[in-house]
Amino acid sequence: MEICNSYSSSSVDSTKHSASESSVNLSLSLTFPSTSPQRATKQDWPPIKPRLIDTLKGRRRLLQRDYDTCLFVKVYMEGVPIGRKLDLSTFSGYESLLENLSHMFNTSIICGNHRDRKHHVLTYQDTDGDWMMVGDIPWEMFLETVRRLKITKPERC
Amino acid sequence: MDLRLPSKVLEHILSFVDSNEDRNSVSLVCKSWFETERRTRKRVIVRNCYAVTPEAVARRFPEMRSLTLKGKPHFADYNLVPDGWGGYAWPWIEAMAEKCPSLEELRLKRMVVTDECLEKIAASFKDFKVLVLTSCEGFSTDGLAAIAVACSNLRELELRECIVEDLGGDWLSYFPETLTSLVSLDFSCLDSEVKLSDLERLVSRSPNLKSLKLNRAVSLDALGSLLRLAPQLVELGTGSFSDKLDQEAVSKLSQAFSEMKELKSLSGLWDVLPEYIPLLYSVCPGLTSLNLSYATVQMPDLLELLTRCSNLQKLWVMDLIEDKGLEVVASSCKELRELRVFPSGAEGLNDTNVAMTEQGLVSVSEGCPNLESVLYFCVQFTNAAMVTIARNRPNLKCFRLCVMEPFAPDHKTQKPLDEGFKAIVERCKDLQRLSVSGLLTDKAFEYIGTHGKKLRMLSIAFAGDSDLMLHHLLSGCESLNKLEIRDCPFGDTALVANAAKLETMRSLWMSSCCVSFGACKLLSQKMPKLNVEVIDEHPLETRPDSSPVERIYIYRTLAGPRLDMPEFVWTIQKNPEIGVSHLAIK
Repeated sequence: MEICNSYSSSSVDSTKHSASESSVNLSLSLTFPSTSPQRATKQDWPPIKPRLIDTLKGRRRLLQRDYDTCLFVKVYMEGVPIGRKLDLSTFSGYESLLENLSHMFNTSIICGNHRDRKHHVLTYQDTDGDWMMVGDIPWEMFLETVRRLKITKPERC
Repeated sequence: MDLRLPSKVLEHILSFVDSNEDRNSVSLVCKSWFETERRTRKRVIVRNCYAVTPEAVARRFPEMRSLTLKGKPHFADYNLVPDGWGGYAWPWIEAMAEKCPSLEELRLKRMVVTDECLEKIAASFKDFKVLVLTSCEGFSTDGLAAIAVACSNLRELELRECIVEDLGGDWLSYFPETLTSLVSLDFSCLDSEVKLSDLERLVSRSPNLKSLKLNRAVSLDALGSLLRLAPQLVELGTGSFSDKLDQEAVSKLSQAFSEMKELKSLSGLWDVLPEYIPLLYSVCPGLTSLNLSYATVQMPDLLELLTRCSNLQKLWVMDLIEDKGLEVVASSCKELRELRVFPSGAEGLNDTNVAMTEQGLVSVSEGCPNLESVLYFCVQFTNAAMVTIARNRPNLKCFRLCVMEPFAPDHKTQKPLDEGFKAIVERCKDLQRLSVSGLLTDKAFEYIGTHGKKLRMLSIAFAGDSDLMLHHLLSGCESLNKLEIRDCPFGDTALVANAAKLETMRSLWMSSCCVSFGACKLLSQKMPKLNVEVIDEHPLETRPDSSPVERIYIYRTLAGPRLDMPEFVWTIQKNPEIGVSHLAIK
């Protein structure tokens, strides 16, 4: 389908409408911005409220999986009695998971292999019941095996 | 002989006049009626917070008990209004705190509400009862705690689709043990987990609780205990519906649902697993409203649910329902008034793995005689379908069709969708709200201008050919109140030629169109009672008159230019010395 990309504004014929205003000839030639669908960015088209879009993004991954696989896991921070529930299917990988957790618990959290005194460390319990460092296996595999998450205190000397 | 009605008598008569439209008419009769009316109005609604100053409103209605305010334009819902544009609640709350301390109810939509605002409310209004925030932002859960702790007569606290800085779930724990007046609580838009024991205690000491909308973090298990504490609920928004429960927990939950004899509205149901759908069967026959837009229910589980909802009036659902599902709705839900179908594949526009077409909506239009409000997202549509829908349902009041592919023609004939929308506006004489989409020429807008005489709100995207389109609308639609347009190829001529029309409307929004800076200046000069706002996040260093503006928002106002405009909003008052002499005006 051909899309015409430039228009010049037409002057409205004053005899056609009963405008009380004098007809205005602005003689302006404007190029209409590109009207290809690429202009409709993910953020503002189609017109759906952001919250629904976020839910849809998470859900698409959920729908693609078996219904038996539950992607909700509980996350506990050492020293905090109340845990949070997290839908792991909404994250694209370890980076976004860490970023989100750091924001949620208001502290910096890192994966196991860069351990130091300042940062909390994220660990997970797998299907065998063992506690492992987060980040040592590929993300997809991690999603298959993770059952719970725990954020441990920074290592002391 | 003095034939004037004594003001006490008039006051008494007016106490029976509830509708603000009627009260507005009353206040136009004469000065004394104006005075009596204004002194007795309790419920004030201001649909554009910049149309009038808070002080003027407080002065006019000193006995105000309930205030409803709307801030940002509607397209702000879809990220089209940049952050920081405006819509601040603070000046209003400050003014009311000083002049109307007996205020009991505040309902805000699309406004920026800060924690300071919430603290001010908590501190200023001794008998505060109702706070409903819809699509608001700018506050955190700390602000909620302030409301919870101080408002001892609180009846309603509803956060509908707000963007809240979530600092944790403790805010709920601030409701004092003495608070027993709660009727409605909606925290569905929050992320953090609240303390279940505090929630349970709150619910059990609230015998008048009728509406409870939980957030996703509330587990299915917790839901069971909450329902047992509040079987009288009329509206329920569940939390997450996907935890694995053991058999005993499931049967307990089923029992809890069957005890809920008053339930009329159900929502939430995040990620509901198919095996839990039967839990809802017992409440289905009583439901008048069902919101499945967050539920992952697919066919055929959806069918099982919908065939049992014979009294349903409002249904919000994902397109996972498919044409087949909508056929079932058409035959089972004869009382249906409002249908909204949202796209499950919104991320990728070409995601058509769902078997839903225009046929679904046609079926519903055939089967549901009371259908009057439609919002329908789909990938493509046909003129024939719209003609059929219009013929079936001339009683439509709201028709919002969103064909997600911009410029998509009738997929059977490849023609524009002009004829389809023509049928809609011709047949549906009471149509008040219309959203158009797909491939449309100026002809479509000629039809709308000719027939859409009751049309109050119109939304347009990616449509039309020229200025004629806008001209048809502004000169034809007599009742037009709100017009919002994006990505359409016109602006100047029709806008300036129909400038007077703009004073009869609440607002006009145009973004990514062809409106020039020069036209904006001209319009501002011609129409002093309008605020003409140019919203440009990337303005040029020097702005020639021929340069197109990113967005323009025009609204009538008694308040003059607003004082809280950010850098990126331009109005002529900011640069009054720029004249329009170099434009040719006949």
